[in-house]
Amino acid sequence: MNRSATYAAVALFVGVLGVSWLTHGRGVVHNDAARHISIPQALTVPLQVQAAYNDTTISFRYRWPSPRPGIFHDVLRYDGKAWVVRGGAVAGSQPDGLHEDRVAMMVDDGRVPEFGRYGGYIAIGHRLAGTANEVSGREVQAHPYLGQRLGLDEGTKYLPGTRSNLNDWASTLPEAEQQALISAGYFLDLWHWRANRSNPMGVADDQMVAAGRLSDAGRGAYVTNWDAAKRQPRVMFNPARVQRSALSFDDIVQGRIGQDDVYALREDEAVPFDAALAWRDGDTIPRRILRTSQGSRADIAVSGRARWSNGFWDVTLTRRMDTGNPRDDKIFVDRGVYQLAFAIHREATGGRWHYVSLPVTLGLGREATLQAARFEGETPGWQQPPLNVTLFYPGQVNWALLNSSRHAGAGNIRAGVPVRYRHSEDQLAHYGIEMEFNAAIQRQWTLTLLAGLLLIAGFGFALNMLLSRKGA
Amino acid sequence: MTATLVIALRAFSDGPLARATDRALVPLLSLGVVSSIAAFAVGLMVWPLEATFSSPLGRNHVLAAAWTVAYWTLLLVTRWLQGAAIWVGMTRWVMLGLAGVGGLLLAITGSIGGHLMGTPTAASQALRLMGWEIYTTYYVPDATLALIVASAIGLVALGVWGRRPRIA
Repeated sequence: MNRSATYAAVALFVGVLGVSWLTHGRGVVHNDAARHISIPQALTVPLQVQAAYNDTTISFRYRWPSPRPGIFHDVLRYDGKAWVVRGGAVAGSQPDGLHEDRVAMMVDDGRVPEFGRYGGYIAIGHRLAGTANEVSGREVQAHPYLGQRLGLDEGTKYLPGTRSNLNDWASTLPEAEQQALISAGYFLDLWHWRANRSNPMGVADDQMVAAGRLSDAGRGAYVTNWDAAKRQPRVMFNPARVQRSALSFDDIVQGRIGQDDVYALREDEAVPFDAALAWRDGDTIPRRILRTSQGSRADIAVSGRARWSNGFWDVTLTRRMDTGNPRDDKIFVDRGVYQLAFAIHREATGGRWHYVSLPVTLGLGREATLQAARFEGETPGWQQPPLNVTLFYPGQVNWALLNSSRHAGAGNIRAGVPVRYRHSEDQLAHYGIEMEFNAAIQRQWTLTLLAGLLLIAGFGFALNMLLSRKGA
Repeated sequence: MTATLVIALRAFSDGPLARATDRALVPLLSLGVVSSIAAFAVGLMVWPLEATFSSPLGRNHVLAAAWTVAYWTLLLVTRWLQGAAIWVGMTRWVMLGLAGVGGLLLAITGSIGGHLMGTPTAASQALRLMGWEIYTTYYVPDATLALIVASAIGLVALGVWGRRPRIA
């Protein structure tokens, strides 16, 4: 009997260890809309990048997988009584697929030195929009510099040097210092291609990151199609130009409208909204009016046609090497080395629910991770092999956290050790998720540790009691 | 790991070498446990506790180290209390199995330590293939916690029950 009891104790101990192994990691991590948490199925996504330049122009070619072509953004749908917005921002994927695919690239020329080591992490400041403790739009709008001077209405990316306190989004330096920082090149150029709000006009939005995510000077490629006084769209499709006044909501969400159909509402294909038409339930008009962008904001063009095909986007963007706007753009020079970081949105995600890259270097006739090929004539040949970049889901890890006592690598950051030296994209994706649930995981981990000790003690007690009797 | 080898040798052999090394087992295990506790304490001082406990790798290292120390203490106590009788009959295989689990725990602890210090090992890939990504914290859900606690209580009860004198 004792032998049986001994074996039973061993079996119970080993069995519970097995159950622990098989069930570990469950019960804590889950999507939580209340805390703005939505974790993508795939934590990493590949992106291929090529670069080419000649004396006047530089081009970047991007290719990344996307299960569906996200060519729609938010829309106005007539529900039989009123026009309502569909496709507003949500945590993670918009259920109707009404969020556009995007590719973005941040560029620096070495004058934001932390960027080349830590990439976009440096721009993720305190209480950004989409995080669990996001600052309200009202607070940002009320801020004398960010809201009232720069016109921001939500917590956006910003560079750490634009704040006096790493842990306070509102601690902006005086405007004169902000301007001096920009004059010194302390800003990131942001290329921002959007499948719905810019692509139909053949451009990418030209933006920048400094005290916030700002737009270059000039006019953007879209405005909102909403007449607040009449609570109806301002314009609709011009039937004489596109053979319809509106789209069908069902056609949109079922994916029956493709890239070769009219899916965006261009200013030159629109007429003033006519409320007297016989609008039917399901009639849908895009919530954005596209127009020709102007000025510094219009610097980046789509080369050829950006296309989704067989599960991949192919997008090529082109810009003058020297835009003549050095306070908005990073100027490219032959033999220069630059730092880049990429991001994509896919599967109808917006805001922070994107994939990002670690920084890579770009060389124009210089040694770098991404070698820009020199070409002659109008267009690049794209003969060179692409750089394969791994994009990852970053979670809510911000710069303040990484520089705090909660991050074991904070000392390395102070010493200037690049993120890539200690971390891979895969690890960072896991870390991002773990930090979203840090408190809950820490609690469960503590209980697991203690329960394991209890089990070992219980097993030790049983074993020695049983063996002692046997030996007696 | 030396202790694991000694236990393995003794489990398979009753020869003079095996018996001689077994006599050194208690001191060896004692030394191992004491040095493990010292290493554990030093390890906790490498980073601020807040950083260690906020890091998946740090948490895994603490958990694995704590379990390893506890587990090898169990082996030490068992060998100490039971003496050479532990090698009689089938219990030698129990000891061998326990040493195997202990060796595995020690290897996991060491491997995670390597990752923490920037020298990753292939052991993490083996663990990944077996279903655990060491860059995620090891924890179990509430139901498993309840099972573990109930099992610990059950083990104590089993020991008490098995200890009762039998009436022939």
